[in-house]
Amino acid sequence: MSTPFIVLIVLAIILVLMYNSLVAKKNQVQNIFASIDTQLKKRYDLVPNLVASLSKYMEHEKSILEDITKLRAEANKPNATVRDTIALDAKMSAALGSIMIAVENYPQLKANENVMHLQHSLNEIEEQISAARRAYNQAVTDYNNALEQIPTNFMANAMNYRQKQTFVIDESERKNVNVKELFN
Amino acid sequence: MKTQSELTDFYYKKLHPSLIRLEKSRKQLSHRIITVALIYSIVSLLTIFSLYKISYNLDIIIFGGFLYIAGGGLLYKYLIKDYTAAFKQSVIAPLISALDKNLIYSTDAHIPSHYFTSSKIFTTHPDKFEGNDYVKGKIDDVTLQFSDIHAQKKHKDSKGNTHYETLFQGLFIVADFHKHFKGTTVVLPDSAQTTFGTLIGHWLQSHNISRGELVKMDDVNFEKKFVVYANDQIEARYILSNALMQKLLEFQKRSEYPVSLSFVGGNIFLAIHYNKDLFEPSIFHSLLKYRIAMQYVNTLHLAVGIVEELKLNQKLWSKL
Repeated sequence: MSTPFIVLIVLAIILVLMYNSLVAKKNQVQNIFASIDTQLKKRYDLVPNLVASLSKYMEHEKSILEDITKLRAEANKPNATVRDTIALDAKMSAALGSIMIAVENYPQLKANENVMHLQHSLNEIEEQISAARRAYNQAVTDYNNALEQIPTNFMANAMNYRQKQTFVIDESERKNVNVKELFN
Repeated sequence: MKTQSELTDFYYKKLHPSLIRLEKSRKQLSHRIITVALIYSIVSLLTIFSLYKISYNLDIIIFGGFLYIAGGGLLYKYLIKDYTAAFKQSVIAPLISALDKNLIYSTDAHIPSHYFTSSKIFTTHPDKFEGNDYVKGKIDDVTLQFSDIHAQKKHKDSKGNTHYETLFQGLFIVADFHKHFKGTTVVLPDSAQTTFGTLIGHWLQSHNISRGELVKMDDVNFEKKFVVYANDQIEARYILSNALMQKLLEFQKRSEYPVSLSFVGGNIFLAIHYNKDLFEPSIFHSLLKYRIAMQYVNTLHLAVGIVEELKLNQKLWSKL
């Protein structure tokens, strides 16, 4: 076999490997996003029950509860983009976080078994969403790195791959956020 | 649970009478061991030498040397047998019940081997599985058990000689984990990244066929010390929350020895690679020495403390 032929074969193998690794990274992002979506839906499903149980007692937080309902309606719209989902998740997490803190001020709510049950389910889902977000961010970081690093960046350019957005994770921010400001 | 300093206090105050008694027998024993060793060595050497003089065959010296070492080991074990039993009964057992009344202790039993295999921390199946100092009990509703383990793999060389390679020697701990999960997550000490640096290390780790998928964690310090393999990227992060990663780093620092752990079938498994037999009495150093005392106290406190330290008692509501 002549040398140019061997070089050509090696080059072809490298190209195929690069192409496959980029596709794998893109699919990994999509797969994990699908799991986040499932978890987020689970959380949105808790909303009607939660709002119904809380609105009887919570006079001052009525507007937050209304906003939560609005956010759920928005999330249920078909054809939501990844960017929309990420933005809605941030707003929803903030709103739910502050409503759960507000529950602490209502002794009758804390004694209510249904509310406690909802709160526990919400906590569990939040933990799962948080894990899914972290997995998504890692997958996106790997994907974005491949888009910028040599030599995969040339291939990614040719494949017309674009950078993807990560979730912003800030647990402390979630707790202290002023929800009213969010919607003004 | 008692704190480490309370336990140290207990060791020096409550156990003092037993320690003094043991100290006496320890001194006698160490003298006896030295005398027996001297006589045994002289007799053995003379025997080997006189046998060699008859035939001038070098094999006799080699074979005799092996016999001498093996016999010496057996003799040593026989000599310290009673002292070891007395030590475990009057020091280790009270220390364990001082830590928690619900713990039961058995000097001869060990963690069943199926736990070792199902933990998936080790990819090789051991041919020889030994251990002792088994502790089991419920702390805050969390089932905990641990023991000393020595797992070995049998090898045969080209000459047909068998020898055993140690897969693991140290403390093996099994406890209930407080979260629901289905898959397998294995956390190992990060040797590749430490040896080869991040870039090559990551590449090597992601091509480890004997393990699951590589999970890159978002805690820089954790990522430096450990490598995580799992069959579910999301579940691995659900188990290894940021808080748990912090706690595991602290645990690793406290244990001072490499720690491997895994999460399988609702349990957390921890293997601390001490590379020595634990909870054995010191023969040539006084039991009253602080360094010796702290070895027993620290190891026990570390093992029993995982329930509180890793917050295994804070069960999620769905697991109640």
